[in-house]
This record gives sequence, structure tokens and C-alpha cells, in this order.
Amino acid sequence: MEAARELIGLFSAFVIPVILIGFPLYGLYKRVPVYETFVEGAKEGFGVAVRIIPYLVAILFAIGMFRASGAMEALITLLNPVLGPIGFPAEVLPMAIIRPLTGSGSAGLVADMVARYGEDSLFVKMAAVMFGSTETTFYVVAVYFGAVNIKRTRHAIPAGLTADIAAMLFAVWVVRLLFG
Amino acid sequence: MLNYIWAALLISAFVFAGVSDIRDVSRDTYRNGQPLPVELAFPEGIADSARTPVRIRIDAGVYQDFYGTEERPAAGYDGVLLRTDEGMVLRFDAGAALPEPLETIRGVSRSNDDELQGALEEPVSPAPGVGDDPPTAEAAVLFEPVRFVKMTAIGAAALDFAETAAGIAIGLIGVLALFLGVMKIAEEAGIIFAIVRLVRPVLRPLFPEVPEDHPALGMIALNLTANIFGLGNAATPFGIKAMEELQRLNPSEDTATNPMVMLLAMNTASVQLVPPVLLLALLGLQINRLIFAIIITTGLSLLVAIVAAKLYGKLPGSRASDPNQGQRPGGRAPGGGASGHGEG
Repeated sequence: MEAARELIGLFSAFVIPVILIGFPLYGLYKRVPVYETFVEGAKEGFGVAVRIIPYLVAILFAIGMFRASGAMEALITLLNPVLGPIGFPAEVLPMAIIRPLTGSGSAGLVADMVARYGEDSLFVKMAAVMFGSTETTFYVVAVYFGAVNIKRTRHAIPAGLTADIAAMLFAVWVVRLLFG
Repeated sequence: MLNYIWAALLISAFVFAGVSDIRDVSRDTYRNGQPLPVELAFPEGIADSARTPVRIRIDAGVYQDFYGTEERPAAGYDGVLLRTDEGMVLRFDAGAALPEPLETIRGVSRSNDDELQGALEEPVSPAPGVGDDPPTAEAAVLFEPVRFVKMTAIGAAALDFAETAAGIAIGLIGVLALFLGVMKIAEEAGIIFAIVRLVRPVLRPLFPEVPEDHPALGMIALNLTANIFGLGNAATPFGIKAMEELQRLNPSEDTATNPMVMLLAMNTASVQLVPPVLLLALLGLQINRLIFAIIITTGLSLLVAIVAAKLYGKLPGSRASDPNQGQRPGGRAPGGGASGHGEG
């Protein structure tokens, strides 16, 4: 396990340099005017970033208001009786709810839980696995669809949230199985 | 769907903030207009100066009775007594660890530097200290009235997050430009095409609507690879590039196609072999024991994401809104290509 992790870590250290150096080198070999082509492509960066802004603002400000209103706590009290019977601990419920909404918020929550329950606790392990195995769904939607001006997202959000809910449940079960 | 979720977020924010504020008013949580009894000690004696350092003691029992709370104040707080034109002001030092509801009151009753302060109700008439003890005085401090905390908070949060959102997008410019530049070279040099041929057997079944040799498959492969290695910064430009390629195949301008939904679902499930740097920073080497659990969880949730994207796409509602409806898989709607190419 340890060796495999080392290997993966080594590999991931090389991915970006290989792409950033290898691709232009190969381009040079293929007689592509690499510098001009790079600049040509890089020009799009600004446009893409600016195009994302309205989508990100729309999603983030709504999430910000939701968090500030204390609605989250209400949601947690509401969901507790449902999740208790299936073995989902109340302590990690905030994580499960915040994770798809905000990345920085959920990272803060992990830090919070480390301070409250200790690094070794089962709750922290569950929250960390949740954090590591899912993405900030709403951010991804805003950025990826915003970049191409997609406003009607169809079944993207239900599919993403289904995967999120599954990941939260798996995280609890897997951690219980391995460490419980 | 996003319409409803978005509206639900806003409406619930408003409702919960409103309910919480009304509850505060009816319970008078902040005891607006009533002074809190405190005991002041003067460690440096009482000078006639404009600024006198004081030690503020709040009796725990008095505090709990006064605010109707279980919270306990600390044994004492450092502060200063200020003589101003409008009378005496008691100011707590910055960074004091205050119990609720004082912590919330600090948000409203504050000086320029975010220190909690309030007007002293009774003129301070200190009794000389016994022995070495400093002189002390009984007093009562009146804080500014606190009203509609949550309403103010959600308003502030909205402005705050709007700023954050723009900041995030602007912060992406450099990384986007870097990777989009390299991707352009990769396209021109034929690297993308080579990647497409490599990953076609795996990705084609997931994206049957994408033509066999389309560069979108190559971008998707790079996006997923970057995700697997925990390179979020690189994954985003690749994902955006993949979306742009998919948009070229999209006969509609603003409606997601099935392959777009699939790519998005796979990204939200975020396959990862390398834990995010942030988690490493938070948990340290503890992460070594968790990585196996993370890989299992993320793998299973990726399967769920793929199945969900496929299944939900077959629902009547999704079929009706499909921009490619009635088209053969991999086909392009007549005349649709032009508008797709128009996208940046």
C-alpha cells in the first residue's frame, strides 16, 4: 500500500511538467510554431475566466446567503431522524451537506472537526474521506457550464447530487468497515 | 432543476433569517436597552486621563440570568475606560474571547477596530482596594441595540460571496491561459488525436454521442487524468476545453447535451488516487491510512455518477429537452454546427 502510494505520488509529480514541457517539445518536432501557437491558445484564458463570472456569482452568492441564514442547522435537525436509523452519524452530517456547496467551507469544517473530535476519531476519518472523494458539485457546474454559456443544465445536477449522496454513504460505510 | 435549487437556496435563506430574527425579538435575546452589570477593577489606579486601563469582571450567575443563557463569561477581560464628550465608554480589548450573545453584540456595538464597546450607565465611583488590591467599582454597561442580525448577515454574505466569486474567476486567468496555450500546441501537433485513439475504447461507450475521432474525447481523457492525480488546477482548464469541444457538437446554444452531463457527473464524483493537497495540510500523515478508503469511495461514487447520468438521461423529461433528440448517435443537427462553432 505504502509503495503504491509512493509510486502514485511520484507519477503525479511528473504529470504537469511532462505536459508543459513534453507537449511543446513534441510540437517542435512536428514543426509547429510553438510560441505563436501557445500565445494563440493562451489568449482564450481571459475570455473563459470572464465568461464564468456571472455563473459563479449566481451560485456562490445564493450559497453564501443560505449558509449565513442558519438554514443549514435547520436542515441538519430535519435530516437527523431520517439518517440515524441507517447508521449515518449526526456529527458528519454538516460535512455531507456543505461538501457539494463550498470547497473552502468544507475544508474549514474538517479542520474544525479535527479540533473537536481529535485526528484519530472515526468522525474525522469519515469527513476526510467525504472531502477527498467528492468535488464541490455546484462550483463544477458553474465553471464548466459557465465556460460554454450553458444555462439549461438538464439532468446534470440530479446526476451529480446522486453521486454525492452515494459518496457520503459509501464514506461512512467504508470507514466503519476499515477502522470501526 | 438549477432554477429550483437556486430559488430554494434564496427562499430558505430569507425564511430562516426572518424566523431567527423574529425569535430574537420575541425572546429579547440581546436585552436591548438594558444595561449589563459588571465589576471594574483599576490595576493602575484611577487617573483623570481620557484612557484608563480596567479589568472587567462579569459574574457568571448574573450573566446567565441576564441573558437567559448557559454560556459562561471568562474570569475577567482586559479593557479600557474612555472619557468622551458623550460620556463614559467601556471598551473590551480586541480579540477577547466573548461568550454568546456578547460575541454577536460585538458585531454591532463596536469601535473602529472591531472591539466590543458600550456606554457606562452609572458614573463610576470606585471604592479603594483592600490591601494591595486595586480599587474597584460597580457599573452597568449599555450596548447598542442589536436587531435583525441574520438579515444583516445574509445581506453581507451575498455581497461577500459575489466578490469571492469574481475573485476566483479572475484568479483562474493565469492557469487557464497556461494550459489553454499548451493545449493549442497539443492540438496542432496531433497529440490530442493520438490520445483520442488511445482512450477511444474506454470512453466511447460513456460518450456514444461524440463522433469516433473527435478531439473532445482527448480533452476528456486529459481532464480525467488530471483529476486522478489530484491536479485540480490542471483539471479545470482541460475540463473547460472538453466542454468547448462538446459545445461544438451541440446544436443548441444554452442547453446541455448528454455527453456534457456525463462529463460533469464524472467530474463531480472526482476520481482521485492522490488526496487533495488541502486534506494533506489538514490531516498530515494520517492521510496515508485514509487513502485506500478514499479510493474505494471515489471509485464507487464514480460508478454511481455514470449510471445516474445514463439513467436520468433516459427519463422522458431529459429526452424532451435533449438538444440532439431525433438525431442518430454521433450525428450533428443540421445547421446546428454553425452556432456551436460561434462559441468562443
